[in-house]
Amino acid sequence: MKFIKNLQIFQHLFKTVFLLSNGNERNACEHVTSCRELKMAATLCAKLLPKQGWLPLSVSVRHGSKAVTRHRRPQHILKQKLLAVTEYIPPKRDAPPDAYPPKTKREQECTGLMLLIKEDLKKVFQDNKMIAVVQNNNSNAEDMLILRHRLHKHGITVKFFPNQVMRLFLSDSIYGSMAPLFIGPTVLFVSKEPKVREMLSTLRVSPHMTLLGACIDNTLLSVQGVVGYSKLPSMTVVQGELVSGLTMLTSHTVSVLQRHPGHLSALLQQYIKQQSPEAASEAKTESAT
Amino acid sequence: MAAPRKAAVILKTVKKISVQFCPFESNVRSTREFLAMVGSEKARATNMNCEVTSIVKHDKSEPVVDVTYVDGERLLMKGAKLTSTEMLSAFQSRCTAKDTQTIAGGKK
Repeated sequence: MKFIKNLQIFQHLFKTVFLLSNGNERNACEHVTSCRELKMAATLCAKLLPKQGWLPLSVSVRHGSKAVTRHRRPQHILKQKLLAVTEYIPPKRDAPPDAYPPKTKREQECTGLMLLIKEDLKKVFQDNKMIAVVQNNNSNAEDMLILRHRLHKHGITVKFFPNQVMRLFLSDSIYGSMAPLFIGPTVLFVSKEPKVREMLSTLRVSPHMTLLGACIDNTLLSVQGVVGYSKLPSMTVVQGELVSGLTMLTSHTVSVLQRHPGHLSALLQQYIKQQSPEAASEAKTESAT
Repeated sequence: MAAPRKAAVILKTVKKISVQFCPFESNVRSTREFLAMVGSEKARATNMNCEVTSIVKHDKSEPVVDVTYVDGERLLMKGAKLTSTEMLSAFQSRCTAKDTQTIAGGKK
């Protein structure tokens, strides 16, 4: 049915074309029922019969492109350029104040655990005279056990504290200058008696531990200071030396007095003789001048 | 971290590493971190002959890392203005270069 209908339409169109091409426009117009059909016929004509002596059928209907398409229609280059030039650039406004976290780090609030550790640290600093800071690069459990065993013999305990808490505590207390020591993996050697020599010998044997510094009797010492401290003689020895130095003169006189009195008198006479020639030589020089 | 793994792999061309710093200075952080990474268990396990020594001084001197390779070359790194990652990457690149050289030499 449809085929027949289309065929009829085509026949109708071709007739109109034929009429138009022969110049019978009026007849063509009469033959055709609607304006649209005429236009279609005219286009066909234009395409089919381009070379005519007549006026070119300028009723060129543009089927052409529609404005509203389903795809993005390519814009004319001039329009494209204009739009590109006149694009809207919004003014840059700051982010709202709470959008990003603040740059300056606020101090971390002390958790309960941190406070506990802090108090523990306080006790440690109060109880123990010697506190040494050591960095351990790599130590297995074995090495640590051996080290702990050796140090325990001398009464030195090994303690671990987190660096953060350490720094907090140090900033509050008088030991502020120890703060730069606590970077990286650090261990504290803590003891009541400052047994530096034994500690140094133990550390020399274990290559992975590095002594950074020590606080002995509330005085901060570097490595050289610690070494020097170890070389110091003990307190009794030092006191003995001091006392002996002071009493040397007096002990000498005591020993002289304790000798036979004849000896003493002979000594004194000798002394006078020594004095008198000096006096005589002085008098001579005076008289000469 | 990936970095210690690489360092752990290629300490074989290194004979000795000596790290020297003054702990009371403020610029030692990177050097100490470098020491911690290089002196770790894994790194030492790759080459038991390699010595890692650390010298602690108190003379306000700059932190210095001195690496001596097996073929006699020395790498000196002044850690005052360097980060630990930079030092580590430089060290590793040298080590890999040496390693490939020795491998290529062995194959020939």
